[in-house]
Amino acid sequence: MVDVLIDVARGPLLRASLLVMGLGLLRVAVLQATELGFAWSRAGDRVVPWTLVLKRGLAWLWPWRAVRDPERAPYTGASVLFHVGVLLIPLFFLGHTQIWKQELGVSLPSLPAWFADTLTLITMAALIWLLASRLASPSRRRLSRAQDWWLPSLLLGCFAAGWLVAHPRFSPVDARMMYLAHLLLAEFLFVLVPLSKLQHLVLFWTSPVSTELGWRFPPGTGDRVRATLGKEGQGI
Amino acid sequence: MDTRHDEQLIPLAAVRRPLGADDVQQRLRYIVEKERLVLDNLPQKFLEAFAAILKHSNYRQVIDNYARITARCAGCATACQIYQHTRDPRDVPCYRSNLVLEVYRRHFTARGLFETRVLGREYLSEERILEMASSLYDCTACRRCSLECPLGLDHGLITHFGRYVLSEVGLVPRALVISVREQLEGATHNTSAIPLPAIVDTLEFLADEIRDEKGRTVEFPLDQSDRDFVFFPAVSDYLMEAETLMGVALTLNAIGDQDHWTIGSHYLDGINYGLFYSDWILEKTLLEEIGETRRLKGRQILIGECGHASRSAKAFARTFGGPDTPPVVHIIEHTYRAFKEGRLRLNPDVVTERVTYHDPCNISRTGWVLEQPREILKAFCKDYVEMTPNRSTNLCCGGGGGTVSVDELRPYRTGVTGAKKAEQLRATGAKFVVAPCANCKKQLRELCEDHGLDMQVVGLHDLIYRAIVLD
Repeated sequence: MVDVLIDVARGPLLRASLLVMGLGLLRVAVLQATELGFAWSRAGDRVVPWTLVLKRGLAWLWPWRAVRDPERAPYTGASVLFHVGVLLIPLFFLGHTQIWKQELGVSLPSLPAWFADTLTLITMAALIWLLASRLASPSRRRLSRAQDWWLPSLLLGCFAAGWLVAHPRFSPVDARMMYLAHLLLAEFLFVLVPLSKLQHLVLFWTSPVSTELGWRFPPGTGDRVRATLGKEGQGI
Repeated sequence: MDTRHDEQLIPLAAVRRPLGADDVQQRLRYIVEKERLVLDNLPQKFLEAFAAILKHSNYRQVIDNYARITARCAGCATACQIYQHTRDPRDVPCYRSNLVLEVYRRHFTARGLFETRVLGREYLSEERILEMASSLYDCTACRRCSLECPLGLDHGLITHFGRYVLSEVGLVPRALVISVREQLEGATHNTSAIPLPAIVDTLEFLADEIRDEKGRTVEFPLDQSDRDFVFFPAVSDYLMEAETLMGVALTLNAIGDQDHWTIGSHYLDGINYGLFYSDWILEKTLLEEIGETRRLKGRQILIGECGHASRSAKAFARTFGGPDTPPVVHIIEHTYRAFKEGRLRLNPDVVTERVTYHDPCNISRTGWVLEQPREILKAFCKDYVEMTPNRSTNLCCGGGGGTVSVDELRPYRTGVTGAKKAEQLRATGAKFVVAPCANCKKQLRELCEDHGLDMQVVGLHDLIYRAIVLD
């Protein structure tokens, strides 16, 4: 029974979850690109310093300043390590590259086993640190919504299950059950990507442009707003 | 800190929230334009204004983007001088932005509508709106936080948008509205309600002063047509910053631009409070500036030493005036060009006291005016020191975003938002702090008073006036 479930999880369920993730992200990207295009076309001033926007975006992409700031370095460092792990492991861990080849026909290089192992542990440590710092900081606690807690927790669970699959002697349950749990958790997360803040995978690249166009106002907006609100002709 | 000023600072607890229903009128008395705010059906009116602005503007795509991706990591808090002073989680810029973004999530997305309409989880209430109003006007909109957000969110943009929505339901600082009403609908056509004859008298008086002090005949040209520059300082300069205006006029005369500039009598106020609270006002005000420049056939809009006036014009003149709008030049840019070309000479033996430079947020955050004033100052100020941090990562004076115009906020501005700035000033040991912004000058002077700092706050052209070498 477990073997049947694993076959389903590795096969059709995996393809379905990746399809949902892919189409969902594509939808988000297309909608965002369309909205940005409309915003640009409506802007009163369409002369945008694209080179400067790109430079600004690239400068902020790697947090040089944050890692040098004593107050920010720990959180930023943990976040960077987490992101490196969460991008590299799912794509290039040997066990995963075999699945991509067998189930999707996609060939990707594999990370050395020792590196993938170490990076998995580092990613998990970073996740635990990020969760703990969110819990310990009154500011972050106050800011947090539900998904700020359960998303990292799910990710942690998925990474832990995956590590235990690779090291079955540490697993508290049967290796196949752990494998099934890992597959299902991963596929659940794939589906969540376009439905949660994980969609920043696609959207964060457009933030500099989005912000720049947010400040590009269409002329006559104020009058049209007031007309809509029935305030035409009213004084200040 | 000099303790004899302590009694002037209202203890933090007294100026903080939370709001109670009975506390509304008292706490927000400076924030409502009408004597008594009518709170009838406020959430509905707020949502209608929110929806109307989203419909007709370009805010929707950026609000939607931010609402989806915000990490809520509080990275912005490390850059916010208000939070750094209070350590109150409600002062984290992301917390403030999320007050606005949550309205969007709950009322303008499918999932939000499901939560509110089907599951009955109401979010927006009168108390939340008033909390939002209080929070958005606790912010100085300095945009320092935008430099630190790991996802690139510009919390200053959210503050700007949130205040615009609030303005359409009547929640605006009274001081700003009264000034704007006079500027755009009043007889004097400026925010300080100075009649034109008084301004003309002032200009004649200033010309006399320059002649007496410098032996130079300098004109303040009025209504001259077909000139390179039409000049728009903050109108308050005409009464309160005489040395700045004299410095500008003498500089323009000395560098050979006497016949290249003019002031327009139909409209002469560079101030634009629309940048602080309403895109409708922002546009109307700029159209006045652009209209006056076109009336006089001026080729460029020359903005005086005022941060928000400069940014309003530079960033938005083309937006509202069209592609053939005259370009905007900051007076410091123009003076700097003359300095580099050797047309402006300065005596290095006049200003011997220690001088430091304050970067006004609106001209420095994007890197527009950074090195130009410094090069000029270092050329003639023997003892020039920098504040730390500076340039585009400067600390706000503490009175940004229009808050300096609200006198009721002075204890908050000098005790909370400007506290870090006061420490910065004290650390320099300077005698002069150069602040080329009318609002920064007012705030920094109040900071000096309330913190016992023996410093003079001056404009760049004030010092140029003292040190300029005339042929």
